[in-house]
Amino acid sequence: MNRRSFLKTLSGSALALGLGAGLGPLSGGLQAQGFPDLVATKGTDLPLMFDRSLTALGGLGQYVQKGQTVLVKPNMGWAVPPEEAANTNPALLAHIVKNLLNVGAKKVYVFDNTCDNWNDAYRVSGLEKAATEAGATVAPAHSEGYFQKVEIPGAEVLKDTQFHELYLEADVILNVPVLKHHGGARMTAAMKNLMGAIYNRRPLHRFGLDETIPELCLYKKPTLNIVDAARVMLSGGPRGHSDSRYLASQMLIVSADPVATDAACARLLEAKGISPPEYIHNAAKLGLGIADLNQVKIQRLSA
Amino acid sequence: MSRKRASRLALAWVRRLIAYGLLALLLAALLWPRSLEPVATTLPKLQFGQLLAALTSGLAWVPLGPLLLTILLTWLLGRWFCGLICPLGALMDLASRLRGLFSKQRFAPQPSRPRWLLVPGATLILFWLGITVPYGLLEPYSLTVSESSLYDGPSLVFCAVILLAIWKGRVFCDLLCPTGLILRFLAQGSRWGLEFHNRCLGCGSCSRVCRVNCVDGLAQTLDQSRCVRCLDCWAVCPNGSLQWGAIKPREAQGRRFFLQRAALGALGVGAGLTPVNLRATILGEPQTEPVLPPGALSLARLNAHCSLCHSCVRVCPNDALIPSPSPHPALWQRPVLDAYEGFCQYDCVLCGQVCPTGALIKLTVERKRVARLGVVVFNKLECVIFRNHTSCGACAELCPTGAVSMAPQPSGPDAPVINDKLCVGCGACQKVCPVRPISAILVRGLLIQQTAEKPVKVVTEDATLEEAFPF
Repeated sequence: MNRRSFLKTLSGSALALGLGAGLGPLSGGLQAQGFPDLVATKGTDLPLMFDRSLTALGGLGQYVQKGQTVLVKPNMGWAVPPEEAANTNPALLAHIVKNLLNVGAKKVYVFDNTCDNWNDAYRVSGLEKAATEAGATVAPAHSEGYFQKVEIPGAEVLKDTQFHELYLEADVILNVPVLKHHGGARMTAAMKNLMGAIYNRRPLHRFGLDETIPELCLYKKPTLNIVDAARVMLSGGPRGHSDSRYLASQMLIVSADPVATDAACARLLEAKGISPPEYIHNAAKLGLGIADLNQVKIQRLSA
Repeated sequence: MSRKRASRLALAWVRRLIAYGLLALLLAALLWPRSLEPVATTLPKLQFGQLLAALTSGLAWVPLGPLLLTILLTWLLGRWFCGLICPLGALMDLASRLRGLFSKQRFAPQPSRPRWLLVPGATLILFWLGITVPYGLLEPYSLTVSESSLYDGPSLVFCAVILLAIWKGRVFCDLLCPTGLILRFLAQGSRWGLEFHNRCLGCGSCSRVCRVNCVDGLAQTLDQSRCVRCLDCWAVCPNGSLQWGAIKPREAQGRRFFLQRAALGALGVGAGLTPVNLRATILGEPQTEPVLPPGALSLARLNAHCSLCHSCVRVCPNDALIPSPSPHPALWQRPVLDAYEGFCQYDCVLCGQVCPTGALIKLTVERKRVARLGVVVFNKLECVIFRNHTSCGACAELCPTGAVSMAPQPSGPDAPVINDKLCVGCGACQKVCPVRPISAILVRGLLIQQTAEKPVKVVTEDATLEEAFPF
């Protein structure tokens, strides 16, 4: 019996003893109810694909309670228009925000610590407008004052960092990255997107992205990862260059497990010859999730 | 108080409020240029001293409307510019109000001091010769908004001017201001202005409030060449003996006077428009190679036209521009890019849009994308990828053109590959490189800016997946 099956048995018996209710819907109870670990939905309409995926996972209400504060963390780091697929799709973000408000979220925040000038990135990506019109509060994240220093428990390399105060305060975090090739980290999807929630990225580059990216998730894991893999940049990422190639994978990948999410995303890039980044395995070793997709209960849908 | 006097007082206050309002608007626009972009790109170009400096860039770079209008209106109405538009004038007015706290005696009339005209005159000639620093230190707009003045702690000259204003009023406008010197010559023959009429009792109220010390209540004279049209004397005059109207024709306003001024003006404009390479180039070139702002074209050109006002430094949204701390006379206080502070945003052209003198030419976004400010230099020995064998790639991540990209190595993580033909020298790689104190990837500036190769747009059809779900 390995650790995983032990934990499964344990949580199963906990449920059987009637203690499951007290643990809330997020702690493995969903799996016991027969929901999948990861949902991948094919389609051309991202909002519709989101609805299908969430229905398969038991509905957004499983993750967000009435009156909770929600942070939606897209990738809007680049001052490039939506068609270049360097940022999260604005229609997807707007749809998620609307759905969160519909299920009773008290407040929905959106921010990203951008790479390009933050005003330009927020505006040119189209995400600020989309999120604001959908009812979210788009917060700035360009100056150190918005961030608070925290120690990361269990981290070997990145012992502390400064997280955005909204990341620390939010009851629920929806991580909504876009899947892309990444020159430095090879791939950016769920875990890499959290680099936009901290202030100083320099130590991560200094000490190695493969080692430090998983450690970011050790502090506070996102509640749900929703990866926009509709059109995937295959080269010149993360900003995209004039000769960037793309993959029309037409997919949305949703999972509470950031490691399984990234492992699935890496398969898409691998199909086009990009070898998977090492940080996925490093994250699995830290116990952040499951890297071996054979052990993940995947539901494949089309919308 | 008679109703007439009350309305005169009200008008004097309107003048003050417009001047203070324009000052506040200017400072705000330079602080928040993105929100107040039309203001930030317009107000600097109303500054007469900047327009004079712009003449050296060639007529194409001079906002001719404001320049000609100011000349015409000054010739007709006197130095209203100094009382209404000049930001330093408004600051000095505010400062000189403090004088009331220390002393009841405010100002006293002073005769004009022509020998002092040497200072602003020399400043103008030095600017023309390419030695622009004195002009940058004394031109009122440059002095007010330059990075070393109001925003980030005042410079010595700025402090001195303000202290002088508290002590003596606007003597700066008379003695030191190079813009004032030109306006003074124009205003000497102004057609309308304030003049004494018979009713004067000789009470001297006007002399006491005159901030430029140009009104002598006892002698009943008003020096039109110094009067900045602040209207204060007019407002305090108890029986309305100072009146605004057409000035009685004097000898100094005859045809001869007009022709003299026109000839002097033509000479001045001609001198200003002399191409840089025909003007003296006294300054040597510095040993270091600074990264100049986009549109500077070359250090020599920047030095010939920059009035050191730092409007570009102030509006740079990435805080990438700084006044050069280099002590070299050809570099000191010139706007340069410090890629450790910030990088030049790929699609941003704001600095060229606010530059009032044409020292930075306006670039279209299209042209800005290939404007090369410097060239990338990669120091493999310092790079974390080669030193620690850990993955990084921050430089390639930020590179807007693909001049730095990542490629697989035989072993170890992907490593940067440089294609310097595409490099625009924006400094993004230097800024994000995690190696400090000296980045492993740097931008070396160019004394003469170049044009980079335009990245070729390659549109390839999107690839598709062989199987619907590869997992």
